[in-house]
Amino acid sequence: MATVFSPYAWLVPAFPFVAFAVLTAFGRSLSRTGAWLATAGTFLSLVLSLVIAIERMTGAAEDYRGGYEWLRIGDFSLPFGFEVTNLAALMLVVVTLVAFLVNLYSLGYMKGDDRISVFFAYVSLFTFSMLGLVLADNLLLLYIFWELVGVCSFLLVGFWYQKPEAKAAAKKAFIVTRIGDIGLLIAILLLFWYMPDHALDFVSLHNVFDPQNGGTISLGITTLIALLIFLGAAGKSGQFPLHVWLPDAMEGPTPISALIHAATMVAAGVFLVVRTFDVFEASQAAMDTVAIIGAFTAIFAATIGLAQNDIKRVLAYSTVSQLGYMMLALGVGSVPGAMFHLFTHAFFKALLFLGAGSVIHAVHTQDIREMGGLGRRMKITAWTFGIGALSLSGIPPLAGFWSKDAILAAALADRPWLFVVGAIAAFFTALYMSRLFFLVFFGKPRGEHGAQAKESPGVMTFPLLVLAALAVVAGFANTPWNGWLGQWLTGNAEADHASALAIVVSVAVGLLGFYIGWLVYVKGAVRRDVLSSRLPGVVRLLERKYYIDELYAWLFVRPLRALGDALTAFDTHVVDGAVRLVGAAANGIGKLNTRLQNGQLQTYGLAGLLALVVLVVAIAGRRFW
Amino acid sequence: MSMLASYLTLAAVLFCIGFYGVLTKRNAIIVLLSIELMLNAVNLNLVAFSKYGVNPALTGQIFSLFTMTVAAAEAAVGIAVLIVLYRSKATVNADEFDELRR
Amino acid sequence: MLNFNIDFTGEFFAFFLLSVCAIVGAVLAINFAKVVHMALSLAFTFVSLAGLFILLQAEFVAFVQVLLYVGAVTILMIFGIMMTKHQDEEKARSRPLLETLAAIGCLCLFGILFYAIRAASFPLPAAKLPDNNTLEIGKLLYSAYAIPFELVSVLLTVAFIGAVALAKREEEKP
Repeated sequence: MATVFSPYAWLVPAFPFVAFAVLTAFGRSLSRTGAWLATAGTFLSLVLSLVIAIERMTGAAEDYRGGYEWLRIGDFSLPFGFEVTNLAALMLVVVTLVAFLVNLYSLGYMKGDDRISVFFAYVSLFTFSMLGLVLADNLLLLYIFWELVGVCSFLLVGFWYQKPEAKAAAKKAFIVTRIGDIGLLIAILLLFWYMPDHALDFVSLHNVFDPQNGGTISLGITTLIALLIFLGAAGKSGQFPLHVWLPDAMEGPTPISALIHAATMVAAGVFLVVRTFDVFEASQAAMDTVAIIGAFTAIFAATIGLAQNDIKRVLAYSTVSQLGYMMLALGVGSVPGAMFHLFTHAFFKALLFLGAGSVIHAVHTQDIREMGGLGRRMKITAWTFGIGALSLSGIPPLAGFWSKDAILAAALADRPWLFVVGAIAAFFTALYMSRLFFLVFFGKPRGEHGAQAKESPGVMTFPLLVLAALAVVAGFANTPWNGWLGQWLTGNAEADHASALAIVVSVAVGLLGFYIGWLVYVKGAVRRDVLSSRLPGVVRLLERKYYIDELYAWLFVRPLRALGDALTAFDTHVVDGAVRLVGAAANGIGKLNTRLQNGQLQTYGLAGLLALVVLVVAIAGRRFW
Repeated sequence: MSMLASYLTLAAVLFCIGFYGVLTKRNAIIVLLSIELMLNAVNLNLVAFSKYGVNPALTGQIFSLFTMTVAAAEAAVGIAVLIVLYRSKATVNADEFDELRR
Repeated sequence: MLNFNIDFTGEFFAFFLLSVCAIVGAVLAINFAKVVHMALSLAFTFVSLAGLFILLQAEFVAFVQVLLYVGAVTILMIFGIMMTKHQDEEKARSRPLLETLAAIGCLCLFGILFYAIRAASFPLPAAKLPDNNTLEIGKLLYSAYAIPFELVSVLLTVAFIGAVALAKREEEKP
């Protein structure tokens, strides 16, 4: 059955782009209408994406490639095209759905902001970039959209640029991800150099790195390329050690946090690894690196999440941790697991962020110690947030359980010790999510705003409800006894790593974590400061995020700043000094000439005499040296 | 070592003194006189060469005669110009004549 | 280089005396305070130079020198001084920078000239001047140098008329 809608896939990113263009051109005069326009554009994209995805699910599964030639350099031609695969179709749906809900939510959240049309223009551009990245059919085009995504995140994180923290966070996000981007760029250049015919499209990549015709590119180069690509992915997806920008990006408006953390920015890194997975598969060392970094990031960020007091920062570290899970899944060779977790994570993390935004909207603070007792006042937010938290903690039968279970099962089958690490991280995840949930919604109101908190308007709660529903049901797309999503994505019906042990352990750690959280923060059976009083050093270490920021400041920022200062000093004193010297010399000669031109013949005569002497000495005196 | 070098040295001394006078004296009449002194030093050279040169001839003396004539003409015109200037500016100080600057 | 092995002949003695007179006159002309004294001191130098011309067997030139410089130019200058009612006194050292630089420049120039004179080698003259110089000059002036002579006379006339015209025109103005 021939595909009908896939040739029109390019329209999916086109709608948000048109919205962006219109908003940029006429934003000032549109204001409120512009916001609705952007939302409508995203909605059209969502509808088209759904149509494409449904069409592909029901039959027409062959990949569609379209586009035109962009550049021709000698024999090398660079296409400007798009490719619709099942993976791309899934990503289209996820991105457009989250983007649409975020747009809808922002209509309420950003109401009254002076620059609302600018905000929606940025969001549209962000959506456009991410959709273009998903559809790109070669690495160079992907890289262009990759950078566009980076720019948009910079613009949106620093949207409230009046706040110095927001400015700093935007700069940090941009610079840190740039380190990863350079890795990706070098990887692309290496691929361009080593690939036959300099092909950069994904189909060629797949063919060249296929184990059956291996040896086209040596193992060392393959590992190098894979690691460089992973560096780019780590920068975007906030993997250790480039995770530092992601929590700081919380300075942006909350809907943007949801968009960045759920659908666009951080998903781009995982998506990149999935897209170039053939390269990784060709190198065992690269796979090991990805798995170990992923596992380490998962547990590392989860422990930090335990000690944070900012509601959005807790969620940010949970995102870092969950992205670590996805990388872990990729490292142990389970693309379906990673994509499945990306898919479910997009829903419940967007849900959690939007719920957090709803809470912040109500109480005007982000410190969870000043919240509490909001459950009775904000019923919808509390219920949906609770579903999201349970889903993230991996409690069955919610979505997060199935995807996390898939990852853990894959890890158990591949390397058992990674499974242990993942299980411990899952326990911490449940613990900090229960802490967050109980502190915010249970107990008595502690802050001054808590008592008067009101439920958010319908335009904000509607996305919460939609996402909550998805967070419940999305997991059934790929259960251990029904690997439909995995088959649909990879195209082969390989047996999933269904494992009773994995299910039991993940359920157990999830429930245990939640139970301990309930004991500590609701029942009070264990005193809250039992840990901080016994081990103040550990708690402090976690609160300060393992001093990574301080370490980077000491290791990189200060030497670079010193170098910059030295170069500035060189510039102001040596370079500018030389320039000033030239200027002063010309000025001095001019002044001397002015004094000389005083109209008196005797002065002119004197100058002539001196010139004659100099001339004679210069000409006749040459014979003496 | 002939007398020629002595004459030439004397002429150089006089020439330099005359030049110094031209450059430093404020009174324009003395400046004119210093110029005459320089011309005279040149005349001395011409006459000395006419006797002690390789080919002694009267040409040098005739040349110095012409020089004197021209110097006399120059002195006459110079004095006339100075008088005109004096009428317009009421001074003969060389450092107050700075029309060249305008 | 400076080999002063000079025969103390009568000519040299006369040269020495006259050159000292010329230099002293010139130096005094530079250093006197009154303008009239300067002019007279320069007249003394011109007379000394006339003596030197005689030593050089240029009697006619010496005669013209006395006639022209001492008799005409110096007197003309003194008339000029009187007519311009100068500030009689030369103001002492009013432009130190100019004077210092001029002194240095002139000394350097003299050094160069002196070095050139000492470094040059002058071959001995191949012949002697005729005894009756004046006669020979007269012959030359009216034969070989007739045209320059006439031109110089024209120049003198023009200068004379010009000087009169210059000095006179301003008088008619008021």
